Amino acid sequence: MEDRAPVRTGGHVLEVQGAAKSFGRRSIFRDVSFGLGPGEVVGITGENGAGKTTLLRIVVRLLAPDAGSVSVRGRLGYCPQDMAVFETLTVRENFAFFAAAYGLDGPGRGRLWAVEMGRLLEFFHFSKYENAVVSTLSGGTKQKLNFCLSVLHGPDVLVLDEPYSGFDWETYLHFWQFAGDFKKRGGSVLVVAHFVYDCSPFDRIYKLGEGGLTCV
Amino acid sequence: MRLRNVRTGWRLTLSELGRSRIALILCFVVPSVFYAVVFLITSDRPIVFKLASVSEDAVVTVSPRNEGLVFIGLAAVGVLTSFLALHLTQKNPGVNRRLVLCGFGTSELLTSKFLALVVMIGLVGCYVGAITPVFFRPERFLLVLAGFMAAGYVYGSYGLLVGALVRRELEGILFIVLLANIDIGWLQNPIYYAEAQNKALIRHLPAYFPSQLSMVSAFTDKAVLKPALGSLAYGTVLLTAALIVYSRRMRLRK
Repeated sequence: MEDRAPVRTGGHVLEVQGAAKSFGRRSIFRDVSFGLGPGEVVGITGENGAGKTTLLRIVVRLLAPDAGSVSVRGRLGYCPQDMAVFETLTVRENFAFFAAAYGLDGPGRGRLWAVEMGRLLEFFHFSKYENAVVSTLSGGTKQKLNFCLSVLHGPDVLVLDEPYSGFDWETYLHFWQFAGDFKKRGGSVLVVAHFVYDCSPFDRIYKLGEGGLTCV
Repeated sequence: MRLRNVRTGWRLTLSELGRSRIALILCFVVPSVFYAVVFLITSDRPIVFKLASVSEDAVVTVSPRNEGLVFIGLAAVGVLTSFLALHLTQKNPGVNRRLVLCGFGTSELLTSKFLALVVMIGLVGCYVGAITPVFFRPERFLLVLAGFMAAGYVYGSYGLLVGALVRRELEGILFIVLLANIDIGWLQNPIYYAEAQNKALIRHLPAYFPSQLSMVSAFTDKAVLKPALGSLAYGTVLLTAALIVYSRRMRLRK
């Protein structure tokens, strides 16, 4: 049974209220509202073209909604669906670029980002590719990098668009182990996926379709 | 603007360029081939033409081969740097926007790309300058070299602007071909300019000042302050426009 997604106010680290988006005359979705509390893992599924990626791009401010509002409290980590990494740089150089963006290489911070990078490479089993140029890596390894760049700065809220597409089963399990640890530390995760293999990691799953969001 | 970020961006942008080995090799092969072709096909019989920025009466007599070598050197530097600049602002739009989303300043990003471009302008300009004396000795070599650098600055800034304006590679290439071919590849050649019906149009094109700087320095001892300042101003206007357009393209929504 499907219910209209409740509009919950207060205590949310991420809140979307009445968001609507159209491209030209084509309405993608309208009146989308949901919230993400501390330590929650929320999923959004839907068919191709339902507007899942558009909704996430609005959440992270890459797109403006036609109506409604988005508020985020805390540091945001965003993993886009498209591989947003520098193909002609090495894995380490990609981390260095994003460490600079996050302000992790500032005065007095030494190379703390390199320690965190080492930890992520180890956790996701791709330490041996640290100095490999990204264009030479497999799609799955690139996706690991794509994901790890979104968590390098220790965010409070993770917004992930198809984060495990291209992962093998073992890496998929590692991903959920990472998400589980993140949740235990009070982090919140919003995951968009075409489909969900296993509902157990999620506190709630919404379905985006026919112009709106419904709680599954 | 955080200088640390500019330095990181500059270093990593250079690393990226350095890994495009064939493109880098071509940056040196193209001017060499251009020079060789001009050297082989042009006559050495002196011709007379007017140099625009000196005065309408300033007539010089030079070998068309030498004039052609300076002109093709300018064209090589201008065209190569504009394509390099296009590559810098147009490639990886998704990753660059993600960097901005993560906190990298748009101006830091464009400045680091521009500084990487300056290195490339220096390398290509110096190479073209270095092979010029193999073919002939210009009157004032260092100022001819400055003209090559100025062509790189003006056309590099134009390339950055085109890369910021258009999203597709083919459109960007055609925008550069559209202007570079007619301007630095044809109209700025003093031989055409001297007999042109509408010189005002030519004077307003981007390569006018850099080509005058090189030509006047190569064949006369006249002052070149005006074309030097003009090049600087033209390049800076284009660079500022590139920064504005790039910032708009990269901006985050409220």
